[in-house]
Amino acid sequence: MISMPEEKFIIRLFNVSKQYGKKEALKDLSLNIAENEFVFVTGPSGAGKSTMIKLLYRGETASSGDIIVDGLNLARISRKQIPALRRRLGVIFQDFKLIPTRTVYHNVSLVLEVAGRKPGEIRPLVMEALEYVGIDDRADELPPVLSGGEKQRVAVARAMVGAPRIVLADEPTGSLDPDSAARIFSLLEAVHRSGATVIVATHDQEMIRRHAVRVIRLENGRLVMPAQQDERLW
Amino acid sequence: MVIVAFRRAIKDIRDNKFLNVVSMITIALSVFIVSAFSFFFNNATNFLDAWQQGVRIIAYLADEVPEEDVPKSDVPEPDQSETAGPEMDRAGIREKILALEGVATVVFVSKADAYRDLQQKIGKQSSLLDGLDKNPLPDAFEITLDASFRNLDHIARLAGVIAQQPHVEEVEYAQKWLHRFSGIYNLFKITGLVLAGIFFIATFLIIANTIRLIMYSRREEIEIIRIIGADAEFIKYPLFIAGMAQGFFGSICGIGLLYAAFVLTIPGIPRDTVFALFEIRFISGMFAITMVLCSMLIGWVACVFSIRKFLKF
Ligand SMILES: Nc1ncnc2c1ncn2[C@@H]1O[C@H](COP(=O)(O)OP(=O)(O)OP(=O)(O)O)[C@@H](O)[C@H]1O
Ligand SMILES: [Mg+2]
Repeated sequence: MISMPEEKFIIRLFNVSKQYGKKEALKDLSLNIAENEFVFVTGPSGAGKSTMIKLLYRGETASSGDIIVDGLNLARISRKQIPALRRRLGVIFQDFKLIPTRTVYHNVSLVLEVAGRKPGEIRPLVMEALEYVGIDDRADELPPVLSGGEKQRVAVARAMVGAPRIVLADEPTGSLDPDSAARIFSLLEAVHRSGATVIVATHDQEMIRRHAVRVIRLENGRLVMPAQQDERLW
Repeated sequence: MVIVAFRRAIKDIRDNKFLNVVSMITIALSVFIVSAFSFFFNNATNFLDAWQQGVRIIAYLADEVPEEDVPKSDVPEPDQSETAGPEMDRAGIREKILALEGVATVVFVSKADAYRDLQQKIGKQSSLLDGLDKNPLPDAFEITLDASFRNLDHIARLAGVIAQQPHVEEVEYAQKWLHRFSGIYNLFKITGLVLAGIFFIATFLIIANTIRLIMYSRREEIEIIRIIGADAEFIKYPLFIAGMAQGFFGSICGIGLLYAAFVLTIPGIPRDTVFALFEIRFISGMFAITMVLCSMLIGWVACVFSIRKFLKF
């Protein structure tokens, strides 16, 4: 159904299903996402958007089907390989998931420490990322004192500091005011422009309307729109 | 990587200061108690050895044995004048004792010599003896043992055999006192071993529990750093370091505490008592190092244990 050459797909799902007990969160989902694509995943509450994101960073494993992310078959990799997969990704959450007891700087630098980067190269990269999202002046503060929009900018800095090939965002603007949300979206677009593949799960129809990109619509765990359908018709 | 792990371990310990301090104090007390037992045990052993080296059995001879019946010993004795009279009988007893396995020398001490000795020992108060119209002390043989027989079991057995010899009325070697002492000694040995066992288990549980609580206080952080790609080692190493640090500092404190107690009390013990027999020594450096290494090893094992239970990688 897609005519692009295979090697250009950075994410591929083949007949993926996910069950939580009896609840089937995803049903027979197949789709491809090309390298450096910007994709929205949308649909009503409970449709399976978060589930799909979790499967991509292997926070959950698929009940059946295959998921290939950046050449790794997630059904086949061992637990020991999961960290290596996650270092190729940047993930952003609605609830930010910042460590409250670590400074803004440290929250971001952890990504590079975890990846085993040399201490000398960490500081400039972290400061660059913090500057990029406009939060470098708050580097030594703890996350709890920041506003929601600021926290999410820290999360974006964290997601991009390791220069990942793929950035996943689950409702990144879900708890933000419209101005902050717009700022986060423009940051995500910038990340996209820098070469990353960006996948954003969101309810925010306004955002989707404003950004002329591909939309994957889920309903009851099923794909309801052809993958390459023009999102502006929707 | 190592530096990062150390930095994270230090933060873990700082953020859980109370927990870590309590843990270290408990380890310190455990190490203190076990080291104290080792200290007492070693010194008791030294004391017993020293005593056994100098041990002699005194065989008191019956009153009715005439003085002339008692032979003089091979060793030059001051009582040269007492060589007259029938010697077969005294020589017979002496030869019999000397022939016993384990006996090295047999020296005759006449009641007159014993009396002079006593007078000398009492010194200025020798007037105390003036009231006595007759020397109350018996004649005796002073028996020393072969080196390999200088231990409690052999001494007790030999003393028993010597007591069976003709004319020997009583045998003395400070036996009651020594038996009580060796009873305490054995009790110490057993208590020490039991306490060491309890120490190992207690230290293990304390460190395992502390690590578990650190992990609990860090559970949100651990979940997050796993999402950003931390591997098992990144999360484990700081905990290992924290566990081993608790063992290390705890045991150092425990040994330091014992040393302080040693330095403060031992010089106060009068040197002219039984303690003159041997030197009171602190636990050996080897033992101290072993305690520290054991505590660290326990810290490490306790970490493996609590991490296994809580972190599934
Ligand atoms: N851990 C879980 N255990 C059981 N059921 C779950 C679990 N996670 C998700 N589900 C169920 O799977 C379905 C899909 O959930 P998911 O979170 O993916 O939806 P969503 O599209 O992200 O919804 P929302 O827009 O509200 O975030 C829901 O019915 C949900 O109840
Ligand atoms: Mg969701």
